Amino acid sequence: MSDPFSGYEQLAGPDEMFAPDGTPRPAYSAFAERLGAWSIEHIDGRQRRSEMDLLASGITFTVYQDEAEVDRIFPFSIIPRIVAHDEWTTIETGLQQRVKALNAFLHDVYHDQRCVTDGVIPGEVLFGAAAFNLRMVGFEPPQGVYTHIAGSDLIRDQHGEFRILEDNVRTPSGVSYVLENRRTMLEAVPELFPEGAVSPVTDYPEHLREMLIEVRPEGVAADEARVVILTPGSFNSAYFEHTFLAQQMGVDLVEGRDLIVHDQTVYLRATTGLERVDVIYKRVDDDFLDPLAFRPDSVLGVAGLADAYRSGKVTLANAMGVGVADDKVVYRFVPDFIRYYLGEEPILRNIDTLAAVLPEDLEEMCANLDQLVVKPAGESGGYGLVVGPQASDAELRACEERIRDNPRNWIAQPLQEFSSIPTLLDGALRARRADLRPFALTGNDTWVLPGGLTRVALVEGSYVVNSSQGGGSKDTWVLRPPRASEG
Amino acid sequence: MLSRVAENLYWLGRDLERVENIARMAEVSHTVSVESGGTDGDQHAWDAVLAATGSLELYSKAQQDDPLLTPAEFLLLSSANPNSLRRTLVVARALARELREQLSREVWEEINRIYLDVHATRTDFRDFRDGMHAFCDQVRSGVASILGLFDNTVLMDEGRDWFRCGVYLERADMTSRIVDTKYFVLLPTAQDIGGALDRSQWVAVLRSASAWQAFRMTHRGAITGPRVATMLVRSEQFPRSLYFCVRAFRRHFEAASDRTPAGQTVHVARELALLDLDLASVDEAALVQQGVHEFMDGFQGRLIEVDRLVHEHIFHVLPSVA
Repeated sequence: MSDPFSGYEQLAGPDEMFAPDGTPRPAYSAFAERLGAWSIEHIDGRQRRSEMDLLASGITFTVYQDEAEVDRIFPFSIIPRIVAHDEWTTIETGLQQRVKALNAFLHDVYHDQRCVTDGVIPGEVLFGAAAFNLRMVGFEPPQGVYTHIAGSDLIRDQHGEFRILEDNVRTPSGVSYVLENRRTMLEAVPELFPEGAVSPVTDYPEHLREMLIEVRPEGVAADEARVVILTPGSFNSAYFEHTFLAQQMGVDLVEGRDLIVHDQTVYLRATTGLERVDVIYKRVDDDFLDPLAFRPDSVLGVAGLADAYRSGKVTLANAMGVGVADDKVVYRFVPDFIRYYLGEEPILRNIDTLAAVLPEDLEEMCANLDQLVVKPAGESGGYGLVVGPQASDAELRACEERIRDNPRNWIAQPLQEFSSIPTLLDGALRARRADLRPFALTGNDTWVLPGGLTRVALVEGSYVVNSSQGGGSKDTWVLRPPRASEG
Repeated sequence: MLSRVAENLYWLGRDLERVENIARMAEVSHTVSVESGGTDGDQHAWDAVLAATGSLELYSKAQQDDPLLTPAEFLLLSSANPNSLRRTLVVARALARELREQLSREVWEEINRIYLDVHATRTDFRDFRDGMHAFCDQVRSGVASILGLFDNTVLMDEGRDWFRCGVYLERADMTSRIVDTKYFVLLPTAQDIGGALDRSQWVAVLRSASAWQAFRMTHRGAITGPRVATMLVRSEQFPRSLYFCVRAFRRHFEAASDRTPAGQTVHVARELALLDLDLASVDEAALVQQGVHEFMDGFQGRLIEVDRLVHEHIFHVLPSVA
């Protein structure tokens, strides 16, 4: 039988599955033994079966080719990311610490702004952030929570350390793929699971529901609190996730037109009349939330919702105006927030980051553009990224011009040779770079789902894992603590 | 239940029922046209289905641009025909996708499966004859599975009743159109009535409504137009007759709107009660006297009114704060 790993070539930077000498790392040992017993043809067959399952279950997006609609699945790979238990403990506590600091920062931003007067962050960064929302000033959200659902992106750097690449606290998506990828794996390759060693992820929706009830408005009984998910509609690329979570939590999935606000109270329009809504898990951007408060041209919002929220009669998760905390320039200062608000050293470190808004950073950035990855602060999804070592001189010159034109909008980081994972492509295992997005839920306290979305860059040599840029995904296995009997 | 969700479930029922009807009628037309070997009956058989689905004029126009366009292709696979099976299925699948959290995984996956199957069928299928039967059969059993899965895997709540309302309204409409096209398109000359052609056309009508066996089980005598029409209007036992569908719609509507304020439901309820009473009083003599075409025309108008009232007073109403 052919060894499925023969001819496998590691990339620069660590390989998640194999040590540099080609032996499986401890976290992968049981898995590698099972997978190694299969031929590459057999692995390929299982991969194809999992793709058929995903197509049949309609977890697809539609693309248009020659005027015809074609349904595609998000590329999925049956080789998982496996995270050892002790490493996961670091990620878990690191995220809890980070979320705590971000909430303290947001509270400060919308109240005393001590971080500016104490010189932790320049005022122009804060007030120049597009997501800074004047309506939130002085407002106290229930339980003091701003970022109920947070999904930070991590990478393992060339030295093997997990580091935070960016925070997502507006409407982080992808958790449905975490659950569906696990389901697909359990159906397609059940033999590969080491018995009882992988933490289950299926209770995420239950944790989410409980957290949403914890942050209900004052005076509403827990068993009477009505929770809904607010979606922009079925044309949104994350719509599958919205329906998935609504179904799993047993709550209504609503669009703006399903809601009305009367006397600062939000109601949904039902066949039996109006029904009061207490907690809204919003998957709509702030700009489209309320045409009276934000964009008058928006048809997606609910007139009067911002006002109802401020009156305390309905809870929004996440809070409005949280985008100031995941602004790419603000990111540079998060380690300082952890020290400033919590008096602790960050458990998970940032990537070294230059923010062009700081004069000394700007010069260093422009002098080393060919070695840096430059990101626009106002974009997400990997758009507008310039990868210095891969860019032409003309591209770099144009990039410098754009940076000097609007320094507030640019950050730069050294190119990270972040870790890769074997991925089945064209019938062979190839190393592809991957990041990790764990999800943290915050109500009375912060809970981190033991798992996460592993996104993988499918194009050879690529560092961009975003699905909008041709990335795929993998299941993420967080190993449980080893049992005492096994030492 | 959210009004928007109720409305979408209703339309999902309508569209799926329509898909099944198109496939069934196409199958019958196909056999009839093959059997008659390309004589006049050939074109007539297809004209009837095109008319029943509101595609007849569109087809004539499309044929001017593309003389090779076959009625089967236009009716089943064309993306240019808004009433084609493919387009109807695309709409149904989009609705199901929007409603996904309301449907069981089994129902959703079955809808998705027939959608993918139909999508995989080549659009430039000029000679569709060989694949016709298999194609229609596949779609029909797909829809039958969905209806069965709906009954066996989805909660028997308000949503399921709205879905069923949609199914029965569409079914009543399609049955009446199937009977009507016999008069409207295939209008026999006086000397044809009772002849072989007339009889075979009525058999085709029965088969188009899945009623051929049911007719034979309930009627021992000759197959005549009035007898066929009366059965398809008035049978209490045949699940595609107008009377059966209207009564089923009424039952599901009452269940679905059980907790809706009476001020809203009264409009639909009144219309349904009248329709129920009127259908109950129909017999063969009355049908012949009024004229089958005139009767069907009037009936379709009343269904349109029921549909309008459901939207105006249930789905789209803006309730006042209690």
